[in-house]
Amino acid sequence: MDIADVLKHTSSELFLPDLQATDKESAIQELVSGLSSGMNIQNPDTILQMLQSRESLGSTAVGPGIAFPHGRTLAVQQLSILMARSTKGVDFDSEDGGPTHLFFVLIAPPQDMGHQYIKSLATLIDSVQDTDLRDKLMAADNYEAFCAALKGE
Amino acid sequence: MHPQLQQLVALQDMMGMIREIEEKGSELEDMGFKTAGLDDLKNAREELEGKIDPQVMGLFRRLTGKFGRAVVPVIGNSCTGCFALIPASFVSKTNAGRLQYCESCGRILYWP
Repeated sequence: MDIADVLKHTSSELFLPDLQATDKESAIQELVSGLSSGMNIQNPDTILQMLQSRESLGSTAVGPGIAFPHGRTLAVQQLSILMARSTKGVDFDSEDGGPTHLFFVLIAPPQDMGHQYIKSLATLIDSVQDTDLRDKLMAADNYEAFCAALKGE
Repeated sequence: MHPQLQQLVALQDMMGMIREIEEKGSELEDMGFKTAGLDDLKNAREELEGKIDPQVMGLFRRLTGKFGRAVVPVIGNSCTGCFALIPASFVSKTNAGRLQYCESCGRILYWP
């Protein structure tokens, strides 16, 4: 799976260019609100509870300044990816203690039998290891530029 | 959404997450994710189970044992567990305050 395949699961409606939250709880709520409006989700609390449960296992802020909140829930019928950015940075309990600026939220249905979302997660994590790329993502003017940077264009 | 249904969906999602960590945890750990909170998550599951009406919880357990998943989404007016058609009257406001079951397979229905 390459990054272009992963990006098929997102859209400009699922891009939040400037999160306002600065703490973890508010950031998760803002991300869920973005998913809810971008995907017309009827029961956003279901996703909120799932993401909170996932964070209780251990923070998903595993990259330098990057978090990958993820999980499966009945609330969605297909793998969906929300991408978000925070210029201020969010205290997301990252491993290195630093603020988190980039978020890739992957939500999959329970019946994602091929573990497509885990493969997507692995691809995303591999793709954003480069510091220059992270700088480009932070500087991207819009969704199209953000995706182009991820694809290395 | 019916509050009991909200709890059942959260419980089923949580059970799926625990199962995934138990089965695919090493793969996630290789990606850098920590799963040290698994015991806490199991405790949270037990706590949530305790909040659900025992009769409903008993049914949930029986359905989970039989089908793997007790709660299933209704997509395109069909139960996604057995693909039986769900009557349009099921989604009426008068039914919003109670749990609803597939008349064919008995699974608990959820409208995403």
